[in-house]
Amino acid sequence: MSEEKKESERQSLPSEDDKTRRDFLQDMGAAALLGAAALMTGSDEAQAKTTWAEWFQKNYRLMTDEEKKEAIVRVIEMEKGKFMAENMDKGYPNSTGESYGIQVGGNAYNLAGVTLEGQHYYEAESVPRKDAFYFPIQCQQCEKPPCVKVCPVRATYRDPDGIVVIDYNWCIGCRMCMAACPYWARRFNWGDPNLPKEEMNPKTHYLGNRPRMRGMVEKCTFCVQRTRHGRYPACVEVCPAGVRKFGNLLDPESEIRKILERKRVFRLKADLNTFPKFFYFID
Amino acid sequence: MSIIRFAIDFVKYVLTGGIRYYVWLGILGILIVPWAYGAYQQLIAHGMIVAGFTDQISWAIYEGNFIFLVGVAAAAVTVVFPYYVYKYKPLKDVVLIGEMLAITAVIMVIIFIVFHMGRPDRAWHMIPVIGIFNWPNSMLAWDVLVIYGYLFLNFVCGFYNMHQTYTGRPINEMFYKTFIYIAIMWAPSIHIVTAFLLNTMPARPMWFHSIMPIKFLSTAFAAGPALIIATLLIIRKRTDLKIPDEAINFLSQVMLWCLGIAIILTFSEVVTELYPSTEHADQLKYALFGLHGMTKIVPWLWASWIIMICSFLLLLIPGIRKNYNILPVICVVMFIGIWIEKGIALVIPGMVPSPIGEIAEYSPTWIEIFITIGNWAIGLAIFTFLVKGAIGVMTGEVRHPNFDNRNASQGGH
Amino acid sequence: MFLNRNIIGIITTFLIIAALHGCGDTKSVPKAKEAEAAAPVTDCFESREGYTSVQRVENVVPEYGYPNVKCSQATTGVLWWGDPFYDTVPMGDMPIVDDETRGDYAIAEAVVKPRESKLMYFNMEPTKHCAFCHNGKMVPFPKDKKPRLLAAHQDIVGNSLQLMHGRAAFWCLDCHNATNRNRLIDHKGNDISFNQPQKLCGKCHGEVYIDWRLGIHGKRIGSWTKEGKKRWWVCTECHNPHTVQILRYNPIKPEPPPILPKGTKNGDHEITKGKETPLAGH
Repeated sequence: MSEEKKESERQSLPSEDDKTRRDFLQDMGAAALLGAAALMTGSDEAQAKTTWAEWFQKNYRLMTDEEKKEAIVRVIEMEKGKFMAENMDKGYPNSTGESYGIQVGGNAYNLAGVTLEGQHYYEAESVPRKDAFYFPIQCQQCEKPPCVKVCPVRATYRDPDGIVVIDYNWCIGCRMCMAACPYWARRFNWGDPNLPKEEMNPKTHYLGNRPRMRGMVEKCTFCVQRTRHGRYPACVEVCPAGVRKFGNLLDPESEIRKILERKRVFRLKADLNTFPKFFYFID
Repeated sequence: MSIIRFAIDFVKYVLTGGIRYYVWLGILGILIVPWAYGAYQQLIAHGMIVAGFTDQISWAIYEGNFIFLVGVAAAAVTVVFPYYVYKYKPLKDVVLIGEMLAITAVIMVIIFIVFHMGRPDRAWHMIPVIGIFNWPNSMLAWDVLVIYGYLFLNFVCGFYNMHQTYTGRPINEMFYKTFIYIAIMWAPSIHIVTAFLLNTMPARPMWFHSIMPIKFLSTAFAAGPALIIATLLIIRKRTDLKIPDEAINFLSQVMLWCLGIAIILTFSEVVTELYPSTEHADQLKYALFGLHGMTKIVPWLWASWIIMICSFLLLLIPGIRKNYNILPVICVVMFIGIWIEKGIALVIPGMVPSPIGEIAEYSPTWIEIFITIGNWAIGLAIFTFLVKGAIGVMTGEVRHPNFDNRNASQGGH
Repeated sequence: MFLNRNIIGIITTFLIIAALHGCGDTKSVPKAKEAEAAAPVTDCFESREGYTSVQRVENVVPEYGYPNVKCSQATTGVLWWGDPFYDTVPMGDMPIVDDETRGDYAIAEAVVKPRESKLMYFNMEPTKHCAFCHNGKMVPFPKDKKPRLLAAHQDIVGNSLQLMHGRAAFWCLDCHNATNRNRLIDHKGNDISFNQPQKLCGKCHGEVYIDWRLGIHGKRIGSWTKEGKKRWWVCTECHNPHTVQILRYNPIKPEPPPILPKGTKNGDHEITKGKETPLAGH
């Protein structure tokens, strides 16, 4: 665009039927004029007028119905020939008391998402309850376990098969791991063990289910005393609905790998990069 | 040989005093009786089950005191740094008090940690070579390193200085200054690392803030000088040691502005959490307003904030800051305010709600309270002994029989 | 060990009741008597209350002194299997799925608990079973599969015109063999045993059937390893085919919640934000 052309536009700006705007313009002074001139894109007078009016228009929410209509006409005018603006909705939304939303399961005003804050101590007549989302949490046997990192004496560590274990005899009871675990998977033995002898499982493991002395931390070991002899963990066996699955992650044919392959799977608090080996799937 | 002689003379001097001195020690001694009962119950008879901990709130009052006292220990640097780096002379006699405070606070830290640990008998597992020291991975390993290092540095600096003054021998500047400068650099590190202990845990959103180390330092540099000022005012009144007004005024300035920074940082933390008000803000909300009707921490947190803000506003007024009758009262109240903030309103809300959203409340048992009070009594007794000894050395009441007069004029620091 | 007369009496009563209630949609097996709370629960269920009953037998694994099962005092559900294969039979021919889902883990030895012994009507007559009545004379064989109102078995299917399975697309005789009522029937008219309901269900529920076959749907206990022996749960051990449309899984009483944290009196504070009925549970 040549300098000459710009000049002519500038002169043509304050049109007759735009009194107030012209007054305003004069008040604004030269700086604003230059800024406004930069906005001018059209070549003919009408378009310039439209552009000008558009630049000074109010917030849509605060416009009167008349002004909204004008604004819509202006958009159509300005976009003519460039876009398909003539198909724009000529109406404008009135408040009809409706509320739009797309709902994919659950209710926006209910706790339908996975928020961990919920009921931990419910005592229902029967389960499953309608609308309830059950979310069992236990040690996630992380690939990058925060609890192992913070232990000052390496009493807790990852065994080669990936299970995070605790040497109960080496733990000093500082409870750093309990604070660091994002899954609240660790428990402390505040007192001496007091389970009746008859109820104890006589088959025990040094890193697993043997009685833990007081003053140290314990955790889920995926029932190391069972799983290392080929038995399913107790939690997998007890679930009456068969919801829990267990297997060798390195074997593509194992139950767990089949789930990872066939189902929608997520990990809890994946944003923490702990890489749990405990997966949740929705069937 | 002079070291043994010094030790004997030091202890002898420390154990003799007026009737007030013995009454003071007697009060502390009485507080140790329930402490002994609690310690027996917790450490020997029943384990930590006698304390108020739960699996939900597994860190509480011992850990809070530990964190607070690390700050007090680090605060010795507020007197050591200006004296040695800026050669600020009025602090000459205060430096040794600061070092004694650091030694005391670190010893108290260690005592509190013993009670915090489930198995203190296994503490040797941390000793390298015979145990496993998970360094550099574990932040607690770092903390042990810096805390024991700081105890060592302050012990060496403080007692070397006193020993040389005691015998009248000159101070080996090379040796002494090296240690002093290392100690100056070391001091903030103990509180920074202690902050890292907490704020490197994304599992606890309330702690997961990068401003925690600097906030720890600022509160510590307010609480520490407060204790030092209160001690100095007692020393001025009760002993022959001359403490210049400038020293106290300087420290009250440090205290004032560190407190101001602490308030700003607390405010930023609150805005950062509460403006978006995500689920991660729940722990702060629990501390500030209570959650689901559980409000045990709320009065404590507000009390500590009100104390901090009022202390700050009062200290801004020079007339009050330089009034040595009001100043110690403000110092003590502020010390308690910051203790509440660190000891109660920081550690416990970090546990509520738990990482999986469980809400529980903590209330200490009497045994915990006995142990906590007893630990403070032990700490105050140690502080009393160390400060009294240091004053004796500085005023020349504790002196080697063959005192070398040649250096007497330049004795001290 | 001495069993006193009361316990023997109770066990005998249970056995009788269990035999009577073993099948169908009968409500539930009576709970263990409160008075005997301290004694181990002997009358238990595995997945469907009243439908997968099992008796505790002591010292099934003498090496460790394990009973066959340990059951919940609160719900009588089985919590732990001392011997996962106790009282099982071989599953028989494993359905082969010859596609990319090789299902190596299904090749191992598979056992099941036979279902026939749990069916009430089936066991009313010990030798001829259902055919005792459904012999074509006492009860004539139906001529077609057209839905009609049933006079009998309303405890299993309340309204036979609205079968709660298949959304009116099929009816009893699509699954039950019209002429041999002791058996089920597949699409080609071949018999299927009540002990192998998976063959029947798999006719339509192919996707779930493949998942089940791979071990990712339904329950298996025993050994998790590839070669390890497994006890499989068959479809009807969890699902009631006659009501599955409204109740995918029959609700059961949950185990009691964990012990509340010290100093907490109840879990009321957990009820979320003004909701009368608490929602999420963990």
